[in-house]
Amino acid sequence: MTVAVPLDHREGAFVRGLSRYGRPLSIGLLVLALGFLTVYPLAMLLYGSIHSTPPGMAGEFNAAGYRALLAPDNLQALANTALISLVKTGLSLSLAILMAWIIARTDTPGRGVLEILITLPFFIPPILTATAWAMLGNKQVGTINLAWRWITGGDGTLIDVYSYGGIVWHMMQYSTPFIFLFVVDAFRAMDPSLEEASRMSGATRWQTFWRVTFALMLPVTTSAFILSFIRGMEAFESAVFFGTPVNIKVLTTQIFDLITQRAQPDYQAATAMGFASLVLMGVLLVLQGRLLRGRSFTTVTGKAYAPTVARLGPWRWLTFAICVGFFVLTVALPVGQLLLSSFFQFFGFYQLDMLTLDHYRSVWGNDEFWRAFGNTMLLGFVGATATMILGGIIAYISTRTTWPGRKLIDVLAWLPWMMPGMVLGIGFLWGFATLPHWMPIYGSLWALLLAYMALGTPVAVRVTSGAYAQIARDIEECSRVHGANWGQTMLRILVALAWPAFAVGWVLIFFGIMRELSASILLYVPDTQVMSVVMLKMWNGGKPEDVSVVGLIMLALVLLFRWVQLRFIKQRISTL
Amino acid sequence: MRRRRLLGLLAAAPAIARSAAAQDADWNKVVDAAKKEGKVSIYTATVGSPFHKKVFDAFESKYGIKVDRLEARASEIRERVRVEQAAGRFLGDIHHNGSTTTWLMTRDGNFQPHGTLPNYKNIDTTYEPDDTKIPAEVISYCVLVNKNLVKANDEPKSWKDLLDPKWTGKILSDDYRALGGGAVFFPVMLKAFGREFHEKLAQQKPVFSRDIQNSERRCARGEFPIYIPFSLQDYNNLKGLPVKPVVPAEGRPYVRFDLAMLKNAPHPNAARVFMNFYLEPESQLVFGNAGYAPVVKGVVEKTLPEIRDLLATKPMGTTDPPKQDEMLALAKEIYK
Repeated sequence: MTVAVPLDHREGAFVRGLSRYGRPLSIGLLVLALGFLTVYPLAMLLYGSIHSTPPGMAGEFNAAGYRALLAPDNLQALANTALISLVKTGLSLSLAILMAWIIARTDTPGRGVLEILITLPFFIPPILTATAWAMLGNKQVGTINLAWRWITGGDGTLIDVYSYGGIVWHMMQYSTPFIFLFVVDAFRAMDPSLEEASRMSGATRWQTFWRVTFALMLPVTTSAFILSFIRGMEAFESAVFFGTPVNIKVLTTQIFDLITQRAQPDYQAATAMGFASLVLMGVLLVLQGRLLRGRSFTTVTGKAYAPTVARLGPWRWLTFAICVGFFVLTVALPVGQLLLSSFFQFFGFYQLDMLTLDHYRSVWGNDEFWRAFGNTMLLGFVGATATMILGGIIAYISTRTTWPGRKLIDVLAWLPWMMPGMVLGIGFLWGFATLPHWMPIYGSLWALLLAYMALGTPVAVRVTSGAYAQIARDIEECSRVHGANWGQTMLRILVALAWPAFAVGWVLIFFGIMRELSASILLYVPDTQVMSVVMLKMWNGGKPEDVSVVGLIMLALVLLFRWVQLRFIKQRISTL
Repeated sequence: MRRRRLLGLLAAAPAIARSAAAQDADWNKVVDAAKKEGKVSIYTATVGSPFHKKVFDAFESKYGIKVDRLEARASEIRERVRVEQAAGRFLGDIHHNGSTTTWLMTRDGNFQPHGTLPNYKNIDTTYEPDDTKIPAEVISYCVLVNKNLVKANDEPKSWKDLLDPKWTGKILSDDYRALGGGAVFFPVMLKAFGREFHEKLAQQKPVFSRDIQNSERRCARGEFPIYIPFSLQDYNNLKGLPVKPVVPAEGRPYVRFDLAMLKNAPHPNAARVFMNFYLEPESQLVFGNAGYAPVVKGVVEKTLPEIRDLLATKPMGTTDPPKQDEMLALAKEIYK
């Protein structure tokens, strides 16, 4: 039997000092790092919201920005935003949970492939799916409506994508796979003994699902709900594409107007709106905390287990159909459109005499694109890895220790997610440009890397927190008792068990970096151009087909990454 | 009398010739200094334009001076310049943006005088340069019609034809309540036809969209027969589609893009040589053939035939920067 090994006395004072000051030192460093990444840009924005002019210009302090929030236009926009986000998050959550259960806990055929296919829509640039859906669902000549008219022989309209429904639907393309990615591994990593105990005590399958399975997943599902709801509040492309033409205003389109649609941009009102939404989200977070307080969500214990797979019999073909249906609607249709359009001269014009490989040649020969691709890959790999490490540490401290300051760290890590992207981008610009010149951040890749890390940390923390919440303490304690230090326990026990979550978080952050535009366009310099900026140039330069080709390249990358990721998971959890 | 004038001219000739030679020598010094600087950095609000890239590449080939392009949208460029200068970071040499943003930034002191340029003499008198800015190129706006849905004799011959009830609910438009083509269209039509024009146009229930590229394609796909205001240079992206640009009889509203030297530019000589190069007829011909109205004399006549007829129409008027916000507010009032 082994016992804990005492500290070697030779290491003496230094190590004793470290073990006494190590903890406050690490907390201090973390707070400093997080503070720089999140509080500093937000502080600049706060200044902007209470000052009549942006940083660097003479002006005065006043509350005009916050008073502007009370204008009927803005209040209406806020109400629209909350409603749209609530509806789409609710629908997406239901759909995602259903599909996660189907993939992780039933014997539906083709689960492995379906799992990858279901998550694809998340990785397609929104501007492409918006264009595709605009072509499919416009009331004049949309493909779906034309088909409907042909079937019914009339001239009615089945769907009009330029509506509240259209905005919600487009947003669901992203939130459903996003939430799915969050919850599917939580479903997998569940000790069935709890469910068995429930069934043996007389509960029906339905009761067991709600009161045991679903209840145990609350940290993950509520985190996913909140992350997705907040993202929905900040969605821009869906609203600008499908809402603006029919006068539906949301928070981000109002902010966009304030910044870009005035001869004199109104940063004060824009940043004030950003903070108003941040406060609202903060309230949500508090509610989540209340909901989860004091409850245990441990499902992964030291005992070996294999989650039960429900045998559905003939019903498994229905579940199969649901997943395939989702895939067809959200992936096959728009991606099919992209694929098709990439081979024709013009998006949406499928005439044989317009078949061409020009767009592929154009992207292949575009030096600027490949340089940007290289920059983005570098920033993506380094950024996602660094962010997951940072997030993993923060999540550990906030969920598995009783260290003072852990709540502060958790809050700091949330902040960037709650501020609309285009406002946060300005915060980074103001923040980094005004740093002392000897700090080589502004005008270099570091500016982009730090901004991406700030933007990705909330996802990293949420994903790993949810996973940690499921792992019992006894496993960790067992490791320490056997002589492993904190680092070894962290890596070989926690990370190994939470590996699926780490992998998912990494992929989410990597692709978030690929698509991030708001901060990138304000921080890039010609040498540090990234893919999202080049795609904007292609789009504005009248080459949406080239953007489709890039979108397809990104999809191919996604498929590759997800395949690699799932193979790693299979090696570690042999239940698939 | 005539002999005296002639003698006077003959006497002055050497002085004039020396002065011209001196100017040439001065300019050559600027060019040499520019080549030593080796680089020029331009902050431009034309995102993704292959024509601008062509002109920048031609400059690089001619002078061996590298052009670093920072492309972003108008307000992003403006905020970056403002913040950088406020923080004492002087990274950009040249600013290239629409006239309203340039006017605002002149007022805010973001530019410095660029001195005389030899090619000033090329500039069309319609577009006056001043100490801190020169005209770069001009974007013209007209009507885009779908050829399958709009027969030739139904095409709008006057801007007022848009008020015809047959186009009710069928006009896709850039938003007049936002900056961009719509914000040029609105004041120009207001000045030409009065508020009544806009009130009647509002009753036509135009569908507003902010995504210009997509709007043009939507017209091409037959979702809407008409799209206004159409930026003429975008026609390059639509060749082969069943659409055509139509310039009504009253002419084309336009907006000027300007070049200005940024304050404390790190490569001031390269910047001056670049600005001068922009005003060469060859450079302006690239823009002309693309559908921008050139700012230099004698270029329209050399453009490709299909574009020449469209460019040879009347310029109808442009925005007045100090009144921009007032116009946006009026547009919001009329087009709820």
